[in-house]
Amino acid sequence: MAKNIKKALRDFWYGKPHTAEEGGRRLGELYEDKTGLLKHREWRGVKDTFYYMYMIWGYNYLHMVMDIVKFSNNPLDFVKGIWRYRWIGQTYLTVMHWFDRGLTGMSGIATEASAWHYRAMVSASIKQMCTFFNADTRLHGGKKNNAYYHTIYSNETVWGGMFYPWKDAGYQYVSMEMIPYFVTCHINSHVVLNYIDAVQSIGLPGDPCPMCQAEAGIFVLDDVPDSSPFTITCNEACDASISTSILQDWFFDKPLFSLPMPMQFDDPLVKKYCMKEIEQCWKFIEEQTGTLFSWDSMVKYLDRQNRLQRDEWEKWDVAAKTDYYPINGVAQALFRIYSTQYGIQDSFWQDASEKVKKIMYKCVEKKINPFPQTRHRVIAWSCAALYYSNWCTWAYNCWGLNVIINMDSLMFDMEVRTDSYENMLEDVATYHMWAPMRRMAVGGMHHIFELWDYMQRFNCDMVAMYDQLQCKGMQGVHGLFEDEFRKRDIKAFWMPHALPDCRTVPRAEIRRLINDYMTTVMHEEPLDPSLLDFDDSMTW
Amino acid sequence: MCKFKKFLLKFCGIFIGLNALLFVVFFFDLDGKLLFKVVEPFLKNHYDNMERKDPLKNPYDIDKFPKYD
Repeated sequence: MAKNIKKALRDFWYGKPHTAEEGGRRLGELYEDKTGLLKHREWRGVKDTFYYMYMIWGYNYLHMVMDIVKFSNNPLDFVKGIWRYRWIGQTYLTVMHWFDRGLTGMSGIATEASAWHYRAMVSASIKQMCTFFNADTRLHGGKKNNAYYHTIYSNETVWGGMFYPWKDAGYQYVSMEMIPYFVTCHINSHVVLNYIDAVQSIGLPGDPCPMCQAEAGIFVLDDVPDSSPFTITCNEACDASISTSILQDWFFDKPLFSLPMPMQFDDPLVKKYCMKEIEQCWKFIEEQTGTLFSWDSMVKYLDRQNRLQRDEWEKWDVAAKTDYYPINGVAQALFRIYSTQYGIQDSFWQDASEKVKKIMYKCVEKKINPFPQTRHRVIAWSCAALYYSNWCTWAYNCWGLNVIINMDSLMFDMEVRTDSYENMLEDVATYHMWAPMRRMAVGGMHHIFELWDYMQRFNCDMVAMYDQLQCKGMQGVHGLFEDEFRKRDIKAFWMPHALPDCRTVPRAEIRRLINDYMTTVMHEEPLDPSLLDFDDSMTW
Repeated sequence: MCKFKKFLLKFCGIFIGLNALLFVVFFFDLDGKLLFKVVEPFLKNHYDNMERKDPLKNPYDIDKFPKYD
C-alpha cells in the first residue's frame, strides 16, 4: 500500500515512466476512438504539464493573435479571410492539436526545444496568411490596393530567396500553395481532400501525384486569394506539376512566368541554361513591378539565410555525434523544409534557431539525453506523408525509434556565395535545382543513394523509407533500394503513403506495417503497447 | 490596509479561479473538442454551400503570350 502511494506520488510529480515494464504511461489510452481527440491531455508531471500549459498551449494561442496584429494591415481582414477560405478556417483554429500530435510523450527539454520550431512555423504561416489578406481584392470590395501591387506570387517550390532583391523595396513574397496546400495537410488533413476531389471532378485522372492535383484543385474551387498582379510558376519536381502550371495559367489568367526545374541538374550546360532562366525571371519581375533588381537587398537576406544554414550545421553536428540533440523528428523535418523553402521573410527562423541552440548547448554541457528510450537512430528518406508527419513521435513513444534526420532537411545543404554576382547566380541556380522532391528523390540515381553517406554521417542504424505510391519517379527506383538494403545489410522499413491523401494509406495501416517490421524482423517488444493499435481514422 | 487586503484577496481569488478554469479547458482538451465537434462542422457547412466562380468559364487562351525579350 505504502509502495503504491509512493509510486502514485512519484508519477504525479514526475509523470509516469515511458516503458510498460516500469508501469508505463499508456499514451494510446488518451485518445478518443476514431477522432483522435484527447480524452484528456497527457499528465507529464507537475513541472512539464504546467510548462506545456502556459509556455506552449497558452503562449502559442496568445501569439497566434499577436502575430495577426503584427503582420496584418487590418486584423479584420484576417477574420474575413477565415470566413472566405476553407484552407484557413479549418486549419488556423486547430493548430494547437497539431502541436499535441507532434509533442505527445515528450518531456522536459525535448518539448521545450521542439515547440520553438513549431512556434516559428506558426509565425511564418500567419505572416503568409496576412500577406494574402492584406492584398486580396476579394476582401477589399474588388479594390487593388498598394499591398496588391507589392505582392509577388509564386509556386511553393520556387524558393523565396528568388525574391530577396525586391524585399527592401517593400515587396512581399507569398506562395500560392504553401499555406492552402502544404501547411494545411499537416494541421488538418481533411481540407486537402476537397481540392483533390475538385480537380478530378472536372475530368482529370486520379493517378498523378495528389500534390499536383490538390494544387490545381485550389484553383478549381476558386480558393486562391487574388493578391498579386502576376505569378511565377514552375514544374516543381515532376511532370505532373507541369499540368498544374497549365491549369494555373488558365484559371489565374494573369501574366505568368514559368521557371522550370531541370531534371538532370548535374550537367553544367543545364546549369548555365537554368542561370539564364533565373535572370529572365528576374527581368519579368522588374517589368511587372517597375522596380529594379537590388543587389544590396539580395546580399543582405542571403547573408541572413547563410547564417541560418551555419546554425543548422552546428545542430546537425550535435545530432550526428551525440545523444544530446533536443529536437524530435517531426519538428526537425518541418522546420527545415519550411525555412529553407520560404526563406528569410522575417526574424522567426533565426529567433527559434537561437533559442534551440541555447537549449541544445545546455543539453551538451549537462549531458542531458532528451530521448533516453532511443533504441534505434533512424534516418527517414524520400518524401514524407504530409498527413502523418508526426509518425516519428509515435514511433519513438511506441518503439524507441528516434528519427535523427531526414531527406527533406538535407536538400539545401549549402550556402549561397555573395562575393560576386556571378557566384551568387551560380549558387542560386544550384539551390533552385536542388528543389524539394528533386535533389534526392526524382533527381537521378546518384543523388537518391546519398542516403548511405548521410546514414554514416548521422550515425544511424535504421532507415525509414517513405514510399509515395503515386510518385512515378520514386516508384521506379523501389527495387534498386530493396537490392541495396539487402546488399549492404541495412535495417529498413517501408512506409507507403499518398503524400497528402490520408484515404489511400490510413495512418493505422502505416503503424501496422512498422509494428510488423519491429516484431517479425527486429523481434522487439514495444515500449508502450497501448500505441500499437488505435483508430484515429477521422483525426485532423 | 483592510481595503488593500480585500483587493489582494479578490485579485488572488480571480487569478486562481481563472487559472483553474484554464487548466480544465487545457487538460480535458475542451478547445479541441469544441473545434472538432462544433466549429469545424459549422465552417464546413458554410464552405460547402458557398457560391463560387466556375473557373472553367474562363476563356482558354493560354497560347496568347506577352512579349518577353
